[in-house]
Amino acid sequence: MDVLQAGIGEFSVTDPDDLRAFMRTEKRRAMVDKVMPEAEAVRRYVKDGDYVSFDFSSFTRGPASLVREIIRQRRRDLWFAAKFTLMETTLLAVGGCLRGVDVGFLGLGQLIGKWVQDGRIKVTEWTNGTLTLRHLAGAMGVPFLPTRNLLATDTLTYSGAKVVQDPFTGKPIALVPAVNPDVGLVHVHQCDIYGNARCFGPGVSPLETAMASKRTIISTEEIITTDEIRKEPSKTTIPYYMVDAVVYAPFGCLPGGTQGIYEMDIPHFLEFMGASRDEQKMAAYLDKYVYSVASHE
Amino acid sequence: MSDVEFSESEFMICQCARLIQDGTLVFIGYGMPQIAAILAQRLHAPRMVQVYEFGAVGALPETPFVRFTMGGPRNCYRSLAWTSMNTIFAQAQLGMVDMGVLGATQIDRFGNLNSTMLGADYHRPGKRFPGSGGANEVLTQCWQTVIVIKHERRRFVEKVDFVTSPGYLDGTPGARERAGLPRDTGPWRVATSKALYGFDDQTKQMILLGVLRGLSVDDAIKEMEFTPLIAERVEELSPPTPEELRILREEIDPDRAIIGKTAAD
Repeated sequence: MDVLQAGIGEFSVTDPDDLRAFMRTEKRRAMVDKVMPEAEAVRRYVKDGDYVSFDFSSFTRGPASLVREIIRQRRRDLWFAAKFTLMETTLLAVGGCLRGVDVGFLGLGQLIGKWVQDGRIKVTEWTNGTLTLRHLAGAMGVPFLPTRNLLATDTLTYSGAKVVQDPFTGKPIALVPAVNPDVGLVHVHQCDIYGNARCFGPGVSPLETAMASKRTIISTEEIITTDEIRKEPSKTTIPYYMVDAVVYAPFGCLPGGTQGIYEMDIPHFLEFMGASRDEQKMAAYLDKYVYSVASHE
Repeated sequence: MSDVEFSESEFMICQCARLIQDGTLVFIGYGMPQIAAILAQRLHAPRMVQVYEFGAVGALPETPFVRFTMGGPRNCYRSLAWTSMNTIFAQAQLGMVDMGVLGATQIDRFGNLNSTMLGADYHRPGKRFPGSGGANEVLTQCWQTVIVIKHERRRFVEKVDFVTSPGYLDGTPGARERAGLPRDTGPWRVATSKALYGFDDQTKQMILLGVLRGLSVDDAIKEMEFTPLIAERVEELSPPTPEELRILREEIDPDRAIIGKTAAD
């Protein structure tokens, strides 16, 4: 297959056999209790320089309490998968945690845009759909997947995608590389102590994110028994063996909402939007909601 | 002009809603398109099925509309299905989605859209915006796409600073298909605060189809960097009707957070 065009954006590739070797030795098959405080989960599984992904957004079923813990522990040089992202990039950037962002949707507030303009935050262009497709490729253990999106755009030029001639139809087609995040964060409605997790309502990509990521931290509204899980197995979204840590975090999405339990806190968002124009105001916001408290509890 | 005062946003939303047909699957973008979709559902398109990138299908959103929400429960109320992003974009790629509705920062003569950055150098943007989100997928995959955009000279440009989502590219015949984009797709209508545009079948250039009652053709085209084609008969576009305004102001957005306020308020 001839490469017709190659994007110039920065990205990294995981060798599928290295990934398999990791899954073979590092992911536990035994049903062991993985419940731990958020501080321990982040200390164990999020390292400086990691590629971090999470499911859904800060408005809905996003792992907001885990993101705050990453900021509190002052992780550095993270690269973040911003698929359908709203507040998170701004919070992580102001917290000094971010080196770069795969865009999707860069996120809310004027500050994050300014920091990209100034070169303080690097970006690689993708789209919400193709970034999520990269997670599907990562979850399948294949090096890439084809898509008809991205073609003939500057988005493709500044992405890491390549255009090839499809060997079956002869038409040009875009290939997007798999992404295998070092750590994935997924907030769910219910989970047992082993990590069998349920999320309800529309989801961006909870299963793809958990399967593609080398380590997956679940935060959950409720911990239920494995008997409950076994009664209705069709409700299980993520099987336990993809999960490394379970954090009990009722209202863990706040100021966002969790479907069927609570709706987003709009006055809080207006406060965030007001603060997100200005570095000092955002620093004060982080003091108020992140640094001045020890944990989500 | 109409006796009733209305905001620019209200007119854009009404125009957009009028383009949405009953019994179709429509991909809805963030913000103004959401309001237009609810308005269309309550007027002429009760069986139109809203599709959202995070996976909701067939939602009947609760009103008053919660500002900022999209994936939240009130916007996904009474859906037919709650799927995922990969599923919904796959269904669009299959050719199941009739129409997409999008906003944008800049648009050019051939309907190429920019929602990424302003400036000549990508690496040193004059201004950085959020980027594609799901816009690239929508404009790539939906059979017809409606773009809702404020009527400003700086938005209707000869050449967009960055092609985030593909229109008719350089306008040459078959340009989209040659690039591998799905056949017979592309931008269909551009609804602004003053006018309505389509795209010429042959040249793929933007063509002025209508202007708001009380405005002239010149009023529309003088606020564009390029001159569009002009239809043989330029339609007179009705301002928002009392019924449209009642639904917008009483049911959907009583705080006027998105539809905006008028001088009379």
